[in-house]
Order: sequence, then structure tokens, then C-alpha cells
Amino acid sequence: MTNSAILQIDHLKMHFKTQAGYVRSVDDVSLSLPHNTNLGLVGESGCGKTTLMKALLKILPPTCHHRGGSITFDGTDITDYSYKQMQAIRWNKISMISQSAMNALDPAYRIGEQIVETIRIHRRSVNKKAAWDHAAAYFEMVGINPDRLKDYPHQFSGGMKQRAVIAMAMVLEPDIIIADEPTTALDVVIQAQILERLKLLQEKYRGSMIIVTHDISVVAQTCSLVAVMYGGKLMEVGPVNQVLKSPNHPYAMGLKNAFPSLLGEKKSLISIPGSPPDLIHPPTGCRFVERCPFETDKCRVQVPEMQPVDSSWTACHRLSEAEALRQEAEDENIWLKKETA
Amino acid sequence: MSGFGKYMLKRLLNMLFSLFVLITLLFFMFRLIPGDPLSMYIDVDISIEAKEMLMKQFGLDKPLFEQYIAYMKNLAQGNFGLSFQYNKPALEIVGDRFWSTCILMVTSLGIAFFIGIIAGTVLAWMRGTRFEVSSITAVLFIRCAPVFWIGMIFVMVFAFKLQWFPLGGMNTPGTHFEHTWQKYFNTDFLYHLFLPAITCGINMAATPLLVMRASMLEVIKEDFIELATARGLSKARVMFKHAMRNALLPVATLFAVEAGLAVGGVVLIETVFRWPGMGREIVLAIGARDYPVAQTAFVLIGAMVILFNLLADMIYAYLDPRVTYN
Amino acid sequence: MNAVSEFFSVIRKDKVGMIGMILFSFFLIIALAAPYIAPFDPVEMQFNELGKLERLTPPNSTYLFGTTSMGRDIFSQVVMGSRVAILVGVISAVCVVFIGTNIGLIAGYYGGKVDNAIMRIVDIIYGIPFLPFALILVAVMGPGIINIIIAIVLITWRNTARIIRSQVLSIKQRMFVEAARISGASNFRIMYKYIAPNVMPLSLVYVALSMGYGIMTEASLSFLGYGDPTLPSWGKILFECYSSQAMFIAWWWMIPPGLAILLLVLSGFLVGRSYEEIANPRLKER
Repeated sequence: MTNSAILQIDHLKMHFKTQAGYVRSVDDVSLSLPHNTNLGLVGESGCGKTTLMKALLKILPPTCHHRGGSITFDGTDITDYSYKQMQAIRWNKISMISQSAMNALDPAYRIGEQIVETIRIHRRSVNKKAAWDHAAAYFEMVGINPDRLKDYPHQFSGGMKQRAVIAMAMVLEPDIIIADEPTTALDVVIQAQILERLKLLQEKYRGSMIIVTHDISVVAQTCSLVAVMYGGKLMEVGPVNQVLKSPNHPYAMGLKNAFPSLLGEKKSLISIPGSPPDLIHPPTGCRFVERCPFETDKCRVQVPEMQPVDSSWTACHRLSEAEALRQEAEDENIWLKKETA
Repeated sequence: MSGFGKYMLKRLLNMLFSLFVLITLLFFMFRLIPGDPLSMYIDVDISIEAKEMLMKQFGLDKPLFEQYIAYMKNLAQGNFGLSFQYNKPALEIVGDRFWSTCILMVTSLGIAFFIGIIAGTVLAWMRGTRFEVSSITAVLFIRCAPVFWIGMIFVMVFAFKLQWFPLGGMNTPGTHFEHTWQKYFNTDFLYHLFLPAITCGINMAATPLLVMRASMLEVIKEDFIELATARGLSKARVMFKHAMRNALLPVATLFAVEAGLAVGGVVLIETVFRWPGMGREIVLAIGARDYPVAQTAFVLIGAMVILFNLLADMIYAYLDPRVTYN
Repeated sequence: MNAVSEFFSVIRKDKVGMIGMILFSFFLIIALAAPYIAPFDPVEMQFNELGKLERLTPPNSTYLFGTTSMGRDIFSQVVMGSRVAILVGVISAVCVVFIGTNIGLIAGYYGGKVDNAIMRIVDIIYGIPFLPFALILVAVMGPGIINIIIAIVLITWRNTARIIRSQVLSIKQRMFVEAARISGASNFRIMYKYIAPNVMPLSLVYVALSMGYGIMTEASLSFLGYGDPTLPSWGKILFECYSSQAMFIAWWWMIPPGLAILLLVLSGFLVGRSYEEIANPRLKER
């Protein structure tokens, strides 16, 4: 993990306080994002992806407590930044295309007004006229007629709202754009369009992007790095080519099986049986132990540390046997056996 | 005509129909009273001829239905009949009071909604604090207290004991006015208006406050609020520009209902503060069995409620860009 | 009466509802035992041992809340006044909800023209300025507790009817109603056997809330001088206090009856709201 990273997360713990105890949504997560890089963050829903992303912007509800670790942005530790200090980071340095772009725009104001508001909050010297023009330019880039800036959100279709939010996320050209499931609410054709446009735009002005998704094909299309998250922890981080083609962590192997092959080979899909761990009382050892077909006694008691192999990092006690396990994992039965056992 | 105009026209016609039903109902209610309404004002020794002349003058000698038709015809021409008590056009007596009541009501409603919206927003923001709990308790107490009782306490404390405000009335007695409007445009009037308007206002503030608070708590869970924070807006901007604006909608629908209830409050408050308005006039007229005056005041109050209803519709349409009228 | 027992079990679990319930029980007990609690006849003039009228005596051990300008014991008046408040509150609330629920059931169940006609009437009643109307009605029919209750009921059934109707509209869509219809149940049977039990919880909320309206209206009419002339009521105490002009000096005359109205209305509000929040969390005050 290099020092030139724009974003560095170290052993971050973000836990939700509930009556039943702390929900360990993000538990000891370390990750580093280099400049001008697209990172895909994948995992099942509820694994803590969104919590991790919101932690970067500090927009989690007060019930979510920071219980250790740090976030470093561009060399500065922002973990304990106040609301006021965060204002300078938010959107200006890190912006977000949220999971539900459908409701991400305030229904009471024109879309243009909201974009202009965002611009003028961060760039005080820009006058209204210039801000409108700037917004119009970005609307054109995402393929919406700039006249529609005068519309209210309810006058937009789902795909248009999504594109409007993308325009808004890019309007200040931040160092990092977080795209949290940017396409789940849209139909397949528009999904592809939007991803393509997102990628083009991002390349044009050279920022970094984190795409949060549970769809591996999205990652394959747009990212160069991928992080696999499970039960509040990262399981494997590395270059897309390596992690998706020859995953080292059993969970990543399972995920790979769960999606159609990128090269178009016909194979029966294997999904990972079982359900995600209880994050209030997580397993003592590896989080994935309950569903892992390769678990050992050690996996039950000891938390595996992240270790480097080639250019990726993996948290698995049987990392040295990865090659063999990959072979085994291709067999559907090994996953099913685990469940019946 | 635009969709909105059509919608408003339809609403207006609906309400005018309501008012018509109301007037009819009221007319027959008054005529059903046993005994003839003039007996209180006519000397026992009056001659039969003189009495009949008076009956004729007030149209009381004809059959009930004819009286009704005549009454409605007159009403359509703006003639509300003669006051039994003063033998002057009822409208003249009540009309004078119309603006006094109107101003008191608008001010009270303004205070109620201003306090309700601001305090509701702030309390939603401070959810879970001790301050919030004690504030809500205080609000519930004021909501459940009779408005005339609050008025009496205020008169005793602020007017009698502290002498900050006058005991009642609308202008200092003995003040002479060249023109009716002068009554309302001077500091003395505002000085008299303050206490009754505040009393009525805080009593009515509870409902918009509670609705605003509940609505705010719903709105701040919305994604666009989270995104507004993520966009780097200040806390105040998120709360007051985005959350509050959207939370206002349910409060706006409340405006019409509250205006209807405010009429009741105004009747009581006018009595406590001796405010020369229509509410007090109704009470006095009923006491004096001066039904034309009571009826006229009632019709005007009904009309006022209709106006507030239309106003509420307009506010709602302004606040919610999603409303269409097709 | 399944809904009623459920009502009480829900209230018992909620702190706010419990406070309301205790408050209401407190006033109910006072009302029931009023003649035994009140030390004096509320209209009897009180004289001291020297034969002098006890005019505007501040509270002391004999006259707990002091006396009026006519030398009457305020404590006895407030205690006896609880009977009128409870009577008007409970009777009007039960009538309002009974009428409102039935009309709401009919409008919601039959829909179409019936619904239209009923909702038009509800709209008209919403346009009536409540207190002035009640005032005129009582003036026309003559002051008296029955007429006051009639005036309250005539207007306030609208709230319950409207809410129940919309509830019925959604219940009507459910499977069990369809099943009942297919099995040949009569309209009456479907309405009262299948739908009514489901709107009962909401009706009970409105019993609690309507009680407050009733009590407040009675107090307001009495304050304006149109209360029942034969009965002591809290509004009438305030009316006498106000018209005697003694309110500036005799705080003890003014505070107790107003506080009593406040607390009793509050009790209904607390019970209603806490039950509403638990039974129907999606409903909001409108």
C-alpha cells in the first residue's frame, strides 16, 4: 500500500449501537485508493459496503459510532473532523452518487437550483449565471438537454434523475466519486449507457472512483482494482484481472461462480448457500466460516490477517492452498455439501 | 383557463354551496324559536297597529317560506336585513367588526404557524434531548388548556399586574378617528392587538408544531437530506432550506382546519379581551335576541372560513411543485 | 368487546398512555364520589362565625380553593363541576364515535353515490364555524346539558366519519372481506362482523380524542354564558369569575377550574395518542 494514495483507511471500525448490542457493520477495514484509479467494492447487501462509504463522508446517523481506526484523505487524517471541517471535504473533494438516486434530489427545488447551490457553497466567487452555465455544461455531458435544469425532480424519469445526480457529483470535479450501486434501480440498457458515460467522464478529468455494487460484471467493466467485503470485513483486495480470474479467498471464489463468466463460457451458476453472519455476535474467527466449504478448526478461532500474494491481499488461513481450492470451488457440490452438513 | 384556475373555481363553487346550505339552515333555526322575536323590543303597551307595522317592516307577517325567499333575494343584493336592536342595517353593524376580527384572526394564525413551524423544526432537530421532552410537555399543556383561560391569566399577569398591555379593547377609549381605516393603522392598535393575538396564537400553535415535528422526523430520514449533507451544506441550510421546506406540506393542509377552529378561539378571545369583533358581536346579539345581526355575523364568519380554505389551497399549490390540477 | 380489552392492555404498556389513564381515573373517581368529597353546597353562601359573608376569601383550611365574590366555596364547585365535564365528555364522545363510525362504515363500504352524498355532507359540516354554530343552536334550543351535547355531536361526528371511511376503504380490499362476500354473507354481516372489528381500534382512539373536544366545547359555551343554568360546571365558574371582575385579585378563583379542564382534556389526548401510535403507527394527526 503506497503513500501516494488519495485515500487511506486504516483498521476502521464503525459500529451501530442498538438495544441488542453493537452491530459491527464495518469492522477493522483497511484499504488504500491510489490517485486516478477506479475501485470496485463488492459484497452481498448488508455486508457494510454502504456504511464504509458513508463513513468517508461522515454522513452516518448518530447511532453509528466510530470505534477505532482512521481515515486519511490526501495525507490528512480526517477521522475526527467536525461537521464544519467536513463541509470542505464533502462534494468538493469526495462526492457521492447515492444508492437511491430516485430520491436523492430535493423534490421542492428545481434540479438546476440544487446543482447551482452546490457549486456556490464551495466556490463562493462564482456568480449565479456562471454556476448555471457550468451546470448546463455538465448536463450536456451526461446527455440531458440543459433546458431541463429548470425542471423539478418529479418531471424526470429514473434514468434522467440518475444522470442528473451523476452530473451533480462531477460538477466540482472532486478527487473521489463514490458511486453506490449507481445502476441498480435502472433497466439494463440504461445501466450500460450510464456506466459507459461515468467511465468516460471519469477518465476525462482524472479523478478516482469507488463503485459499490453487488454486481461483479459492473466492476469488470469499469474498475482496475476490486475489494471484496463480507460481514463487515474485507476478504480480498487486488487488481480486477487477478481477483476476478483467480480469486484467492473462498468467498471471492464463490462470488465468481455466482456470476456468468465474462468470457461467455456456458457454465451452471453456483450461488453461495447460507446467509450472512450476525454482525452483533459475529463468529470469533473468520467471518465467512459458516459458509466456507474449506473451513478448518483454525478458521473458527483465529481471525485471518490480510496477506499479500502477487499483487493482491487476502485474509484467509488457507491462502497457500489457494490454487487447489480454486479447482475444488468450481464444483457446485462442494458448496451445497456445506449447507446440508 | 389553467388547470389550477379551474380547480380553484370548483373549490370556490363547492364552498359557496356549503355557505348556502349553512345560511338556509340558520334561517330556519332562527324562525323555529318559540315566541315572536320582536316581543323583547316592543313596549307591552304598544298598539296593535303599531306592532303590525313593525312586523311588516321586518317582514315577519308573511309565511315562513316566503320570508325565506325574500331573505335570500335580499342577501343576494347584499341586504342582510335590519337589526331588531338598533333598527339599522345588520350589515352596517357587523361590517364594522369584520376587519377587526379578520386582523385578529390573521395575526393569530400567523403567530400560530410561525411558532409551530419554527419550534417544530427545532424540536425535531433536538430529538431525544431533555429540552425536547419538556418542551413537548409544555406544548401539550397549552394545547389542552382552554384558550379563554389562558387569556384571563394573561390579562391578569401582563395587563393588570405588570401593566405592560391594556386590559382590553381595540383602541384607547376616547380616541377619535376621521376614517375607519385609521383605527387599524396606528401603534395604539398594535399595542391592543398584541395580547389577544399572542394568546390565540400560542394556543393554536400546538397542532402545527406537533405536525411539523412529526413531518420533520419523517423528512430527515429521506435520501435527499442525506445527500444534502453529503453535498457539504451547513447544518442550518440542510434543516431550514431542505428539510423544513419539504416538511411544510402536511402543515399546509392543516391550515384550513386550523382556520375553522380559530374562529371558535376568536369568539372566546374577543369576549375575554372585549375586542370589538364579529365573534363578540354574535355572543352579544344572541344574548339580545337580535337574530339578523347574529345571522349576518355568522354568514360573514362562514365566508371568512371559506377564504382561508382557498388560501390554504393556494399555499399548498405553491409549496408542492408536484401538484397538478388536470 | 375484544377491542376494548386490547385497548387497555396496550395503554398499560405505554408510559404516556398510563399517565393519561391515571389522570382520567382520578377525575372519574372525583366525579363519582363528588357529593362525598365536596364539603359544601356549591351555591350555598358561606358566612364566618361573626355572620359576615366570606367574600373572596383566599384559600385556607376550610375553603381549600378560597371563595367567590358571592361567598361560595370554590373547591366544592370544582369538585361538583367534574360531574358535568365527565358526563358531557363521555356521552358526547361515545355518541360522536358511534355515529361517526357507522356513517364512515356505510360510506366506505357502499361507496359510489352513497359515499358521495355522505362525503358532501361531511364537507359542508367542515365549513361550519363550530363554536358560533353551537352557540346559536344552544341559544335557539335553550340552554341545557342535553342541548349542549346535541350541538357537540351534530358537528364533531365528521372527523370520525372521515377517518373511519378511509380505513374501511382499505380494509374492503382485503382477502377476508372478499371471502365473506363469496360465501354469501349479507352486506350488513360483512360490515359489522368482518369490517367493524378492524376499525374498532381507530374508533377507540377517537373516543379518547373526542372527549377533549366535548369538554372544551361545554366549557367554552358555559364561559360565554350558555351553560346549563342548573348545574355547576368548570366553564361556568370561569364565567362567573370573569364577569365579576374579581379575576384580577382572586387568582384562586381562576386557576383551579382552568387547570381541571386542562388536565382532563390532556388525559384524553394522551390516551388517544399513545394508543394511536401503538395501534396505527402510520396514522398522523391531520
